[in-house]
Amino acid sequence: MPSPEPVGRVRAEASPAGARSPFQWLLAKEVRELIASKSYWLLLLVIGALVGHAFITSVNLYAEASGIGGGPSALSQGLSPLEGIVVPTLGAYDLAATLLFPFVVIRLFAIEKQTGELALTLQAPARFSTSVMAKTVALSAAWLVAGIAGVAALALWRGMGGHLDAGEVATVAIGHLLRGLLTIGIGAAAGALAASAASAAIIALTITLGTWALDYVAAARGGAIASVAEYTPSAALRVFEHGEVRIATVLILGILGVVGLAVAAEWLQEGRPPRRRVGGAIGAVVIGAVCCVAAGQLRATWDASEDRRNSFLVADEAALRQIRQPLHVTVYLAAEDPRLADLERGVLAKLERTMPEVEVTYGATSRSGLFERANDHYGEVWYELGGKREMSRSTTEPIVLETIYGLAGLQPPTPVAVQPYPGYPLAKRSAAAPWFFFLAWPLAVAAAWWWGNARPSRAPR
Amino acid sequence: MPIAGDLLRVMDLSKRYGQFWALQGATFTVRAGEILGLIGPNGSGKTTLFRCVAGVTPATSGSVVAGGDIDTIDGSRRKHRLYFVPEGVQPWPRQCVGWVLRFVAGLHGASSQRRDDVAASLALEPLFGARLGELSKGEHRRVMLAVGLLTPQPLLMLDEPFDGLDLRQTRDAMRVLRDHATDGRTLFLSIHQLTDAARICDRLVLLSGGRIAGEGTLEELRAKANLAQGGVEEVFLALT
Repeated sequence: MPSPEPVGRVRAEASPAGARSPFQWLLAKEVRELIASKSYWLLLLVIGALVGHAFITSVNLYAEASGIGGGPSALSQGLSPLEGIVVPTLGAYDLAATLLFPFVVIRLFAIEKQTGELALTLQAPARFSTSVMAKTVALSAAWLVAGIAGVAALALWRGMGGHLDAGEVATVAIGHLLRGLLTIGIGAAAGALAASAASAAIIALTITLGTWALDYVAAARGGAIASVAEYTPSAALRVFEHGEVRIATVLILGILGVVGLAVAAEWLQEGRPPRRRVGGAIGAVVIGAVCCVAAGQLRATWDASEDRRNSFLVADEAALRQIRQPLHVTVYLAAEDPRLADLERGVLAKLERTMPEVEVTYGATSRSGLFERANDHYGEVWYELGGKREMSRSTTEPIVLETIYGLAGLQPPTPVAVQPYPGYPLAKRSAAAPWFFFLAWPLAVAAAWWWGNARPSRAPR
Repeated sequence: MPIAGDLLRVMDLSKRYGQFWALQGATFTVRAGEILGLIGPNGSGKTTLFRCVAGVTPATSGSVVAGGDIDTIDGSRRKHRLYFVPEGVQPWPRQCVGWVLRFVAGLHGASSQRRDDVAASLALEPLFGARLGELSKGEHRRVMLAVGLLTPQPLLMLDEPFDGLDLRQTRDAMRVLRDHATDGRTLFLSIHQLTDAARICDRLVLLSGGRIAGEGTLEELRAKANLAQGGVEEVFLALT
């Protein structure tokens, strides 16, 4: 074959200094597509109402618990802004991430296929993953912008004189950011795999329903299913809402989001043979699964709660860390038995955070425990350490710790006087919140929509 | 037409959808600097051939040889050598024409001067404030022509570039494309109107039933069809 003239970008003109990169252009395009998307503006409108309603309700309940009506108030130690204000207010974002944000994501990915734009994107002077990355950055920014309503609610709370702990707020915010990333991954994969946006929405909702079913089954059965169900969006978010940052949860949510994006990036490259696209998508899932299993082995956690609700007393933690032998716990409590929930959250989770090696086995065979026979040891919790075993029926922290110290041959640490969590009662209602969330916010969203979608009056320069 | 050499050679390209062969053993050459026309009736496989050559649809078999390299069959690297504007795509429906041209020019490294020249040559300035989804078919086609003209690849493939244009617009678009080719760019056009093809193309590739029925200038094709005279329609009918 005769050698032709050198081919390549023979007509490409020198980019002027300061010119945008292909990624920047693609990002600008995705941002404009989001601004033009009715579904995103609807999300912004609805999120204001959801956050506003949640905030006003939780402030009123908090005020009542603080004695605003003149009645008896709760113990101040029990009044924590984390669970009284921050979690319920930002909980609106869980609803949005489940039922609203997926459609915004799907639109951005599915519209390229529907309009035929994908053929042009595939020919852009950048790797296709750059285009997926631009969409991800734009959608992440969109999720952050939606977060302004939550930030405003917490600012109103501070303005009322309410207390906020930066670590607690940051922990819950990280949970919702990761929830958003997971939604982006799921929506991207659904938008890429489905032939239309409507089909993609069905796929995304099916995944959501699947995770709910998994939560339900895990709550009833426990065991291996419960281990997997720890990483469903709802369950994972609960970890952050308790003021705890688990490295495994952070990594697995991130990995799942990235896997969804990788599946989308592989599947949308329609110029590749189908076998290669299927192989690429399956490969991404397999690699993601391996990474998730590896991340699940990581035990590092941080208790970011101000009242250290996820930790033992400092003296107990120091004593427990001295125990180098593995602790084996056999629990004869059914999955639906409320004592099991008390034991897991109040003791076992803290033990796993503190001791180097804790292995928990669940011995009950029924779901409710109502019909267990006495010789099945139902209700017993066995602790085994260094070849010694002891049984306890208690699920309370001091008794369990005493049992473990006894097995380890340790003297319980001398109680050290610590400053108790003071609690932060606030007997006030927010007068400004209804005006802000139900008047100012919709008006601001409408104004931003109008400004963002106004036609240019002259040619662009 | 001066022949500087082969820009791209399509060799034995086939595409099968299930049991149906949309394209069978297509082999032809695109020469640098020419305007090559792909002509054939509806359903003859023109769009399939274009998509397979451009690498946006995987071919079942065959190869595309460009720049001395045998390209991979999936065509992921072909975007460095050619740009394909499909027919019937409706991208960026909520974006204004002015911004779309700015985006395409910026993404592909074209200067603002070049963008303005292309817009002026296709009389797009009055449409700058209009959204793509609101344009008429002819206006939209002109915007998509501009999109193709703003890209830098040495080969530009346009699927039905005159579809939706009226007589005057078709004539103007042909002039713009001819000027573009004169500047050194190679054009490969899929055209189902044989008269349009005869007016603008230097050479023709005839496609019928997914097979190449002929390739060459009108004179070469006329000779192949053993016709002493006659237009492209007679030649096409004789060879297919």
